Amino acid sequence: MINEYKIYNCRILEIIPEGADSKTYTLSLPYRGFSFKPGQYVMASLPGFGEAIFGLASEMNDKKNIQITVRKVGTLTSKLHNKKKGDLIGIRGPYGRPFPIDLAKAKNVLIVAGGIGIPPLRPFILDALKNPKKYKKVYIFYGSRNESVLYYAKEFSRWKKVCDLNITLDNPQTKKYPKGQVTALFDIKNVPPDAIAFMCGPPVMYKFVIQKMLEQGFKPENIYLSLERHMDCAQGVCQHCAIGPYYVCKDGPVFSYAELMNFKSWLSPL
Amino acid sequence: MVWGFFVIMNKRMNKNKFKQFVDYLLKNNQVYAPQYNVEGYLHLNKLAKPEDLYLGTELPLDSWKWFMLLPYQKMFDYKGLEFKESLPKIKNQILLGVSILDLQALTLLNEVFAKDVYYEEIKKRTLVIGTSFLPEENFYEYFAKFEEDKLEHLQFDIFLAKQKYDYKIYTGSEDGQRLLDKFNFKDYQHIEYAGPIREEGLDAQMVAVKDGMQNYHDQKIWDDLGKRCMQCGKCTIACPVCFCFRMFDQSSLEKETGSKNRCWDSCFYNDFSKVAGASPVAPKHFLLNTTAQKIYFWYEHHFVRTPATYSLPGCVGCGRCTRTCPADIDIFQVQRDILAARARAQRKK
Repeated sequence: MINEYKIYNCRILEIIPEGADSKTYTLSLPYRGFSFKPGQYVMASLPGFGEAIFGLASEMNDKKNIQITVRKVGTLTSKLHNKKKGDLIGIRGPYGRPFPIDLAKAKNVLIVAGGIGIPPLRPFILDALKNPKKYKKVYIFYGSRNESVLYYAKEFSRWKKVCDLNITLDNPQTKKYPKGQVTALFDIKNVPPDAIAFMCGPPVMYKFVIQKMLEQGFKPENIYLSLERHMDCAQGVCQHCAIGPYYVCKDGPVFSYAELMNFKSWLSPL
Repeated sequence: MVWGFFVIMNKRMNKNKFKQFVDYLLKNNQVYAPQYNVEGYLHLNKLAKPEDLYLGTELPLDSWKWFMLLPYQKMFDYKGLEFKESLPKIKNQILLGVSILDLQALTLLNEVFAKDVYYEEIKKRTLVIGTSFLPEENFYEYFAKFEEDKLEHLQFDIFLAKQKYDYKIYTGSEDGQRLLDKFNFKDYQHIEYAGPIREEGLDAQMVAVKDGMQNYHDQKIWDDLGKRCMQCGKCTIACPVCFCFRMFDQSSLEKETGSKNRCWDSCFYNDFSKVAGASPVAPKHFLLNTTAQKIYFWYEHHFVRTPATYSLPGCVGCGRCTRTCPADIDIFQVQRDILAARARAQRKK
């Protein structure tokens, strides 16, 4: 019987600094045959410092390595930031329900990301870059605090070749990007309302973005968003991430807005 | 006619034979069974002699999860970055006198932890002997009386069905059969386990409560409970089907060594619902902010989530939470309130 909690040590092959507070770690594959889909996550751990979930941010069919982006916020992430190239990180996974990318084939796609919400969407963007004809048109709306916390900024020129990348900042330090909330982009850009929307960001962003989308005629079943919860087991047992009849770790983290809209519970998921 | 009578008689174990059977069990195993302590409370403890055993309609205060789902479980030992699996080291154990309600609870735990190596390791070393004794009052109609056809949906090794003067013996597994064979008692009836889900599907009462909670929410019930509940979490420890746990690392004093562990958790504790980012539903980084929300979450687990995930009742009606609650919150009364609110709302429609 396989121990579902087995931790695989992955070697850090490269560390790429991302903005002021984050780093992207390129890791060796946890085990042969490891594969994932955009929106899935792994539990990363260091002995003595516990575990936390990180969205997989690399190309989904990469058979050599995986990438996670870690923002320094707590004990574990600070300890991870101290790690150097060649060190080991414990990984188990991948877990969770991914974004339904097959549904988006040959359709318009809208990506909405807020701050550190961009990593789980990056596998999709990289897939769109690799297969430019797979999706009709890919719009990216990316909102962040300021220039220093724009992740994957070095790749933006590459992204722009295939995707329509739009960025807004809460407090811009330069004049490169416009000031404003990500919702403002909906007034500037005309995204066809038949687009499939994939979102990841803070819950407060979801609230206003979904309102805007529904106003513009998006269908609730075409809006997909990723929820964040504290998780211990990642297998739908420990109850920490439970919301109503669902477990975010197993039934999510990606939910369609239609599912959350008909969420029959007093405790709201958003 | 005479032959048929003979067969029926033989499928039973009389009092003397049963005493010999318990003696036999005690010889080679650790037996845990309901026993009264000096204060007159019925607890589950290691059985020393057959006379201490209580088999009857009263349910012990403790639930059997204490022996199947250890309160504290070491999962891995680590040294540097190397993790070594640490499986529970327990001797063969026999759980004797498990009421049919508690068998239902164990059947659910078996489902929930079917892929869990730690639970399976304990299950491998455990033999469950059930009994047909039921509490005198039962909220769930399904458990109002014992019927033989209910056994095929419960997991056990041996089952003692109380007759007027003796026990009729059933087996539910090969382990159970082997044990009886070794004891030289061969007249048992084998019940083939047909999976946990009953032919009629979910329990009708459970479906009604789930529907009440999901579609006919009555805020007053939860506000009232929020005022009474003191978040002690005793119900979560007493409940035979509360299986939440928390995982944590424990460093030892020796350099770079320690263990990865898990222990029971309670959704009434603040840290249970902690999240990294503050949001409209978690302004102080907790998703469950009030007592009412916590108790609602607890009910939601038992009456909505478990039926939705496993198609099994998330409450077996043992009433342990009610007995242990310092604020006298009666789980069956709360269910009656939920059903009444549902009926009221349906009438209005």
